[in-house]
Amino acid sequence: MTDQDEKLSYLLDDYPGDSAEASLDEVIGDVNLQYRARRYQMIGEAMRHELPAAIDTGFHSSVMARIHQQPADARRAQLQTPVQAGSRPSLLSWVTLKPFAGLAVAASVALVTVALWQPLKQESGQLDDGLVSADQKKVEQLSGQQIQGSAVPVSIQLQPLGTRWKVEREMPGLQQKLNAYLVNHTEYSNSVQGLIPQARVAGFDSQQ
Amino acid sequence: MIHSSNQSGKLKFLRKTLLPILITTLVSAPAFADPAMEWVQKMSDAMRNLSYRGDFVYMHENQLESMRIVHYRDANGEKERLISLNGEAREVIRDNQNLTCIWPSSRKVVVDFSRKNSFSPIFIPEDIARLEKFYSMKLLGMDRIANQETMVVHIDPKDRYRYGMKFWINQDNGLMMKSSLIDETNKEIEQVMFTSLRLFEEGEKLVLDSLPEIAKNYTLIRYHRGDSTVSVMTDNAWQLDAAPGGFWRESVLRRKLPDTDQIVQQMVYTDGLASLSIFIERQNGETPRGSSSMGAVNAFIRILNNHTVTAIGEVPAVTVKQVAESVSYRNQ
Repeated sequence: MTDQDEKLSYLLDDYPGDSAEASLDEVIGDVNLQYRARRYQMIGEAMRHELPAAIDTGFHSSVMARIHQQPADARRAQLQTPVQAGSRPSLLSWVTLKPFAGLAVAASVALVTVALWQPLKQESGQLDDGLVSADQKKVEQLSGQQIQGSAVPVSIQLQPLGTRWKVEREMPGLQQKLNAYLVNHTEYSNSVQGLIPQARVAGFDSQQ
Repeated sequence: MIHSSNQSGKLKFLRKTLLPILITTLVSAPAFADPAMEWVQKMSDAMRNLSYRGDFVYMHENQLESMRIVHYRDANGEKERLISLNGEAREVIRDNQNLTCIWPSSRKVVVDFSRKNSFSPIFIPEDIARLEKFYSMKLLGMDRIANQETMVVHIDPKDRYRYGMKFWINQDNGLMMKSSLIDETNKEIEQVMFTSLRLFEEGEKLVLDSLPEIAKNYTLIRYHRGDSTVSVMTDNAWQLDAAPGGFWRESVLRRKLPDTDQIVQQMVYTDGLASLSIFIERQNGETPRGSSSMGAVNAFIRILNNHTVTAIGEVPAVTVKQVAESVSYRNQ
C-alpha cells in the first residue's frame, strides 16, 4: 500500500489525522485519486453489503462539465480573489465548493433544459437530417469521382498532399515496397493509436 | 481551540458530503484497477462498435491533412470508409473481408484481406500487469474538443523503445476525439483531431460497398483471390533473439506477393499498445540497407542469409534497429 493509498483509506474511514485536509484537497484536485477513492469506497460498501442496487454514474461528470463550460474569465477572477495576509485559506474556498456551485448551476440549467427540450430537439432533428443527406451525397460523389475512371478528379490539378518515406538513397520501388509493408503492418498489428494508423495509409503520396 | 473545532467540523462535513459526490458518481463504473486503462478500453470498444461519421485533421511533419471517416456497424459486422479531403481523394475502404485502397491519380486499387477488430485491444488482467511495467498511465482531467467534453488519458513510456500517447475520449460515448503520439523529447509527432463527429441515428443505414466498380483504366492489385484459407507454411527458422522489453510475438504470416510471386514472411510483435512487424523476403537485386522514416513510423532494413529483413512500426528508430539486428536464421 502506498502513502497515497493509506491516506485515502484514512480519509474514507473517517480516521482523525492532521493530513486529512491536505488529502481531501489532493483528491479534489486529481481525477486519478478520485477514481481510486471511489474504488476503495465501493470495495468497503460491498464488504459491508451496502452497495445500492443501481448507481447513478453520470451525475458528477455532468456537474463538472458544466463548471468547465463557464467562461474562463469568470473562473480566473474567482480564483484570483486575494486572500487576507496571515489568514489560513478556508477549506470552503471556490475550489472545494466547485462541485456544489456546479450542482446549483446544473439544477437551474436542468429546469431550463426541460422547458426547452422539445423545440430544441425538433430543430436539431431537422438540421441533422439535412446534414445526413448532404454528407451522404458528398461521400457518394467522391466515390463516383474515383470509380468513373475517365473523369479526372478536380483536386488532381493541385499539388497533391501526401507522405513519403525519408530514405538515404532513392531506389526504384523502395517507397512502394515500404508502403506495402506499412499497409500490411497496419492491418495485421494491434496498436492502440486511434485513427492515426489508418490516416497514415490514406495520407500516402500517390505519386510514389 | 474553537478554530480547531470549526475546522474539524468542516472537514467532517466535506468528508460526508463532498467526497461521496466526487467518488460515487464519477462517470462509469470501473471494471479495471487502472482508470486510464478503463478509458482506453472504453474508447476501443466505442470505435469498433458504434456507427459514426466525422471529419478530422491529421497532422504530421508540418503537414495538415483533412480526412473523413464513415464507420458503420450492424449485425453483419463493420464497414469503414476513410477519404482524404485534401489533394486527390485517396480512399481506404474496409469491411469484414477486404481492405481496399484507392489512389486515383496513379489509378491504382489495391485489395487485401481485412483483419477484423482493427481498433481492438481487449485488455485482460495479464495485459494490464505487463503494460504497467513499461508505461505509466494517468488521467489528466477534462478538456473540450469539437464542442464535446472529453477525458484526457496520458500514456507515458518508461523506456526509449516506445512512444507516448495521449487520447481525448468523449465522455458520453467513448469515441476518440483527438489522439497524439509523443516522442522521447516530449514532442507531438503525429496528431489526429476531429473537427466534427456524430453518431448515426437509430435505424439510419449507409450503403458502403466494399469494392466499388473499378473502371478499366485502373490497375487492380489483388493480394488474394478470395480464399482466406490459402496460405504458405511459415518458416519457423526465422527468429527474433532479443526483442525489446515487453514485446511479444502476436502472429506470423507468410504469403505470395501478387505482382512478383515473391514469398514474404511477416512477424508481428506488440507490447499491448505499440507494435512492429518484421518482413522477410528473398533478396532480389540491389537492396537498400539502413534506416528510413515516415512521420512516427520507422523502418530498418538489413540483409541476412540472402534475405531482406525489414523491421517497421510506429515505434522509435532505436527499436526497429534493435529488432532488425536481432533477427537470426536457425536452420534446425
